[in-house]
Amino acid sequence: MTENNGQFAIETFSLTKIFADWWGRSRVVAVDNLNLKVRNNQVFGLLGPNGSGKTTILKMLLGLLHPTRGRAVVLGGDGKDPKISAQIGFLPEESYLYSYLNARETLDFYGSLFGLNSRVRKSRIDALLDMVGLAGMANRPIGTFSKGMARRIGLAQALINDPKLLILDEPTSGLDPIGTRQIKDLIVELARRGKTILLSSHLLADAEEVCDRVAILYGGLVQREGSVEELLERKDKTQITTNILTDRAMEQIRRIVEKDGGEFEVKPPMQKLESFFIDIVRQAQQAKRPTSGAMNRLEATDAERAAAMSNVLDKLVAAKIEPSEKTEQAEVETVKIRPDDDILGKLTQEPQQITEPVVREKKPETPELPPQQDGIKKDLLNELVKPKGFTERIKKKDKKTEEKKNE
Amino acid sequence: MSRVWAVAKNSFVSAMRMKTAIVFMLLLIILLPILSITSTGDGTIKGRIQSFISYGLGLTGFLLSILTIIVSCYTLSSDIKHKQIYTVVTKPIRRFELILGKTLGVVLLDTLLLLVFSSIIYALTLQMPRLTKTKGDELVRLNNEFFTARASLKPDIDEQVIETKAQKSYKELQRSGQLNDSRSKQAVMQELKDIARYSMHSAEPGGMVIWEFKNVKPFDSNDNIFVRFKFEASRIPPDKNIYGVWYVGDYRQIKYGQEKMKTPIYAAPRKDVVKTVQEFQVPANAVAADGYLAVVFYNEPMNDSTIIFPQEDGFEVLYRAGNFGLNFVRATLIIFARLVFFAALGVSLSTWLGFPVAVMCSLAVFFTGVINGFIIGSFAYLGENVSLFYKYAVEPMIWLLPKFDQGCNISKYIIDAKLIGTAFFAVTIAGLAVKSAILLVAGFIIFARREIAKVIV
Repeated sequence: MTENNGQFAIETFSLTKIFADWWGRSRVVAVDNLNLKVRNNQVFGLLGPNGSGKTTILKMLLGLLHPTRGRAVVLGGDGKDPKISAQIGFLPEESYLYSYLNARETLDFYGSLFGLNSRVRKSRIDALLDMVGLAGMANRPIGTFSKGMARRIGLAQALINDPKLLILDEPTSGLDPIGTRQIKDLIVELARRGKTILLSSHLLADAEEVCDRVAILYGGLVQREGSVEELLERKDKTQITTNILTDRAMEQIRRIVEKDGGEFEVKPPMQKLESFFIDIVRQAQQAKRPTSGAMNRLEATDAERAAAMSNVLDKLVAAKIEPSEKTEQAEVETVKIRPDDDILGKLTQEPQQITEPVVREKKPETPELPPQQDGIKKDLLNELVKPKGFTERIKKKDKKTEEKKNE
Repeated sequence: MSRVWAVAKNSFVSAMRMKTAIVFMLLLIILLPILSITSTGDGTIKGRIQSFISYGLGLTGFLLSILTIIVSCYTLSSDIKHKQIYTVVTKPIRRFELILGKTLGVVLLDTLLLLVFSSIIYALTLQMPRLTKTKGDELVRLNNEFFTARASLKPDIDEQVIETKAQKSYKELQRSGQLNDSRSKQAVMQELKDIARYSMHSAEPGGMVIWEFKNVKPFDSNDNIFVRFKFEASRIPPDKNIYGVWYVGDYRQIKYGQEKMKTPIYAAPRKDVVKTVQEFQVPANAVAADGYLAVVFYNEPMNDSTIIFPQEDGFEVLYRAGNFGLNFVRATLIIFARLVFFAALGVSLSTWLGFPVAVMCSLAVFFTGVINGFIIGSFAYLGENVSLFYKYAVEPMIWLLPKFDQGCNISKYIIDAKLIGTAFFAVTIAGLAVKSAILLVAGFIIFARREIAKVIV
C-alpha cells in the first residue's frame, strides 16, 4: 500500500495494450492509455461491447498479459506477486476448469494452490458447494456439467481464499436467471462486507443493479465513467409509486399535475421478468419436481435472499467459529428456505494470514471521489462523483433484514 | 512445496484419466506375459530368457519413454491451450513451481508404471526356469551366465606403449636406411603405430598374446572367472579349428621367478572355431591378492597361422561381481532417470511450443539418443574442419542429448549378465540428472517471461 495509502484497490497509470501480429508489427490497440482507479470496497463495472478491451484490462491486472506501456497497481503491488494474488479471487470469462476432475477435487486443487490446509479446504469446499447449489453433485466430473453449473464452480474457486479483491469477467454469462440473481446478491453482500469487486459485463441490467460505479469502454478507451445513479438519473421526469388509488384520488392528482402544466400517465408497475421467473421456479420446487441441474435455495423476497446470502458469507469471514456441525439438509433437497448458519463458519474456521476478518458493522462508507485528473472531461466528472446511492441502498437492505429477523 | 505437490497431483490424475496412459498400460500388461511364452532365442532356456528380457525391458523402456513424452508435452500445453492456466497462474503460485509440479506429476506416473512393469518382468524372468523345469547343467549354466552380474575386463590399450614401440621401430628403420623420402614421418609413424597395436593382439605360430589387468575383485574367490574371446586366423584350416593353450593367473610369478607360487596358474588347452565367440572358466583364485590377473594365449605352431584378436570384441574377462537382482534394479533406475529426463524435456519444450511441435522435438531427441554413437561419429567427422565451432557449439548440444546405444544399452547389460558398475551407474544417473536440471531451468526462464494470454493478431 505504498502508492495510494490504501485508498485504491486498483490503480492504473496510462495502461496501454497493443496486440502485434506475427511479425511484431502493431495491429490492434486493445486498451488505450487507461487511468482506472477503483477504490477499496467499491463495486466497479467495466461495461462495453464485445472487443472493447474489458477482458484485456483484467488480464493485465492479473499479469496474464504484459502491458505495452504504463503499469497497474493492484492492492498496492503487482498482480503477479504471490503475496498479492493470494488476496485476489478471479473468475475468467469462461470457467476454464479441468474436465476430468470432479467438483470437489477442483475446489480442493485451487484451495491447495492457496496453501490452505486440508481441514480448512474441506470445510470451505463444503460451504461453497452448498452455496453454489452443487452439494449434491460434488463427485460428478466437471466435464459432465452444463455451462452454468461449471460457472458456479468457477465462482466457488474464486471465493475459496476469501479474497479481498474479486475480479469477475462476465460473472453472469451462461447462468440461468436464478444463478444470475444469486451472483448479484452475492456481489452486493460481499461489497457490504468491505470487499472490492471489479467486474466486466455487457449485460447492462446486471451491472446496473450491483455496481457503484461503472466505466463504459469503447475501442479500448473509457468513454464515460461515474456512479450508476448519477449516470442514469433522468432529470426531466418524476415517478410516484403508491398502493392502488381510488378514482377520486387519481382525479385529484391529475388536476394538480395539469394545473402545474405537466403530462400525466397512469399504469400499474410491471413486475420484472426476473422476479416473475424466480417465483415460478420456486413454486415448482415447492411442488417437489425433480431436477438434475443445480439446486438453489430460493428465498421468496429480496430481504430473505439478502439475509440468506449474508448468513453464508458470515460463515466465510467470521474470525471465530463454532465447532463445525453437520449441515442440515431440508427434506426436499431443492428447496431450502434458509441456509444453515454454520456454512460460512466452516469456511473460515482457520483464517489464513492473508484473510482479514471483516467486521460487519464497521463497513466504511464509500468516500467521496476526488475529481479525476487525466483523460476525462472535468465538467462531466463533476456530475459523476457524488456517490451516495450505493450506501443508501445497503442501509435500506440492512434495515429490511433486521425487520424480518425481528418478526 | 504444497503448491508444487498440488500441481503434481493434478497432472498425475490428468494422465491417469487420459486414455493414452491406459492404452500403454494395457499394451504392456498383455504383451509382457505373451513375450515370456513366445520368446525362443537360440532354443536354450538361457536364450529364451535373454530374448524375453531383451524385448521386455526394451519394450517397457520404449513405450514408457513415448508415454512420458506425450504426457509431459500435453500437461502444460493443454493447460495453456484450454486456458485452465488462467485460473492457476493467477493464484499465489510461482511459475517455476508450476513447471516443477507438472514435471513431478509425470515423474510420479513413471515411477508407478515402471515399478509395476519392471516387477512383472523381474517376476516372469525368475519364473521362467521353473515353468520350463530346467534342471542340471543347464540350470547351473543359467545361474553362472545369466542370473548374475559379472564385471567385464577389456584390454586397455596403452597409447604410451604403442608410441614408444613405434618410435623404436622408426629409429630402427632410419638406421638401416629403409625410410623412403617420398613418405612423411607422420604417415610412417601412423603405420608403425597400427602395426604395434596389431602386434599386441596377435600371435604368430608359436607366439603368445598377453593381457594384464589390475584391480580385479571377484565377488567370491570360490567363484569362477570367465574368459570370453573371438579370434581370426591368417590361414583358416579346413575344419576351422585352431589349437591353443590359455594360461590364466599371476604371470609375474613366472616373469620375475618368485621362489614359491602364491596363486595357481591355470592352463587350458583348447580347440576353437574361428570367428565365433567362445567362453571358458577357471577358478577365481587365479587372481593375485593385489587384484592382478594375466591371461596368456599360446598359439600352437602346428596351426601354421597367425591368430588375431579383433580390437573391438576379441577378448574379455568376466567375473561375478554382483548379483542379478541388484543389477536389474540398477538397470531399472537408469531407465527411470531417462524417463525423468524426457519428462523434463517435454515440460520444458511445452513452455514455449505447442503440443504437436513439442512432441515432435522430444521424439527427435529420443531417436537421436538411440543412434547417438552414429551421430557423434558423423559430427566428429564433419567437425574436423570447423573445430572451434564444433567444440563450443555442437559438442555441448550433443552432450545434452541422451545416449541409449553402445555402452549405454541397458538391456544389453542384463542380457549379457554384465555388472552395471557403481561408477558407471553414478555417472549415468548424475549425467541425466544434470541434463534434466538444465532443461528445467531453461523452462523456468522461458515460462517466467512468457505472456500467458498472448494473442497474435
